[in-house]
Amino acid sequence: MSHYPGAGPAVHDPMTLPSDDNVNAYTFCVELKGSQWFLQKGKMIAYYGSMEFNGIGHGRLDRLVRTSFHSPLHASDWVVAEGSGKMLLADRAFDVNSYDLEDGNLTIRSGNLLAFQPSLTLKQSIVPGFLTLIGTGKFVAASNGPVVFMEPPIRVDPQALVGWADCPSPCHHYDHGYMTGVMGGLRALTGLGGASGEEHQFEFAGAGTVLLQSSETLMAEQATGTPPPDAGVPGSGGVRTGSSQAAGTPRLPGQLGDLQRRFGL
Amino acid sequence: MFRLQDSKVLAVDMTGDAVKAKNGSMVAYDGQMAFKKMSGGGEGLRGMVTRRLTGEQMTVMEVKGHGTCWFADRASEINLVTLRGDTLYVESSNLLATDAGLRTGTTFTGLRGASQGNGLFTTTVEGHGQAAIMSDGQAVVLRVSAQYPLTVDPGAYVAHQGNLRQSFQSGVTFRTLLGEGGGEAFQIRFEGDGLVYVQPSERNTIAGDV
Repeated sequence: MSHYPGAGPAVHDPMTLPSDDNVNAYTFCVELKGSQWFLQKGKMIAYYGSMEFNGIGHGRLDRLVRTSFHSPLHASDWVVAEGSGKMLLADRAFDVNSYDLEDGNLTIRSGNLLAFQPSLTLKQSIVPGFLTLIGTGKFVAASNGPVVFMEPPIRVDPQALVGWADCPSPCHHYDHGYMTGVMGGLRALTGLGGASGEEHQFEFAGAGTVLLQSSETLMAEQATGTPPPDAGVPGSGGVRTGSSQAAGTPRLPGQLGDLQRRFGL
Repeated sequence: MFRLQDSKVLAVDMTGDAVKAKNGSMVAYDGQMAFKKMSGGGEGLRGMVTRRLTGEQMTVMEVKGHGTCWFADRASEINLVTLRGDTLYVESSNLLATDAGLRTGTTFTGLRGASQGNGLFTTTVEGHGQAAIMSDGQAVVLRVSAQYPLTVDPGAYVAHQGNLRQSFQSGVTFRTLLGEGGGEAFQIRFEGDGLVYVQPSERNTIAGDV
């Protein structure tokens, strides 16, 4: 009864499960020894030992919002796991990986971040839809396909971007010559003459690391909360200064400039 | 005779014997094969009526012949389970194929089934032989023993085998009602001696957002 040879995949018990490492490409095991971890709601799939899962932001956990969540606006999407034992994390059968930050910073797409150690602090990035982790510790992120690390200078496809570490925020890059002018407008509108779908990229410069996933399927976005509606805060819906091209205007991926500009008018 | 061609394709080598497989899951075969639909999963009239009543319908075909037959279903990951007189409990939608010699049936799961969003009943497979079950992403097999009970999220549970007692745990508090729950309001606790299969993905359950 205790042995099932040839029962397919390896059988795990608390002794053989890794500590803070991957079980397979899609499952990550966290060991808790009276410590805490933050995880996104509903990503725990199983655990050995005794653990408690509590929403952040009430009672004795209120303190955590101050020390680790500097943006209380999305704290309700997070859960504190505490206790002792081993816990398995997974997210919709996506690839998961852990990363170590040492006195560093990393900005990541909000839907990709799964869990992190409380020694890290989580803040909203000024890029809407992204979160920034600062400090020293381990975090777990999901991606659609394995993650590739690249060094700037680099231009990346917006859908493949998972996050970036230690380098300044990216900027948009448009293949201007190809897109503008009468021919460019016709190409973009009709698809004739080759709209490659790659006329728009994110450009990274400076020193650091850029994390890419090996597919262009985005993961569902997790709400990061809306920043206060002050003037000059991107994504806040506040008073905008400057042109209508300000961030936060929803645009379809292929729709890059206004029509008049396309046709060079 | 069951082997994995790769993690998503099951190959079964047959020499005149038979397997039961999910209807329409054959992707290729060589040799001589005959496919026969089995009404009621080969459980007889009583089994057929039970399945209809419990909502654990499964349409099964019997494959018999000489050669190799390959099975797959919607690119799900496949896990092989060897049964030695014990019972495998699995959702009918996660069962791909079984040896023809294994008996299948339905059983009442109670609250656990309700929390999984799969209904109150589940499928049992018992006897001596092999079965193939499917999961969304590579499944993790966890051993439960007397000193190590296991707690599982209902949405990630796929199957279990062995001599296990399960109990339903609810972490619903007044905070859950206020929308400040821990996201893991319902859990299944396994105690005893056996194996539990979990998948790295959660089905949508009523507890998913609580």
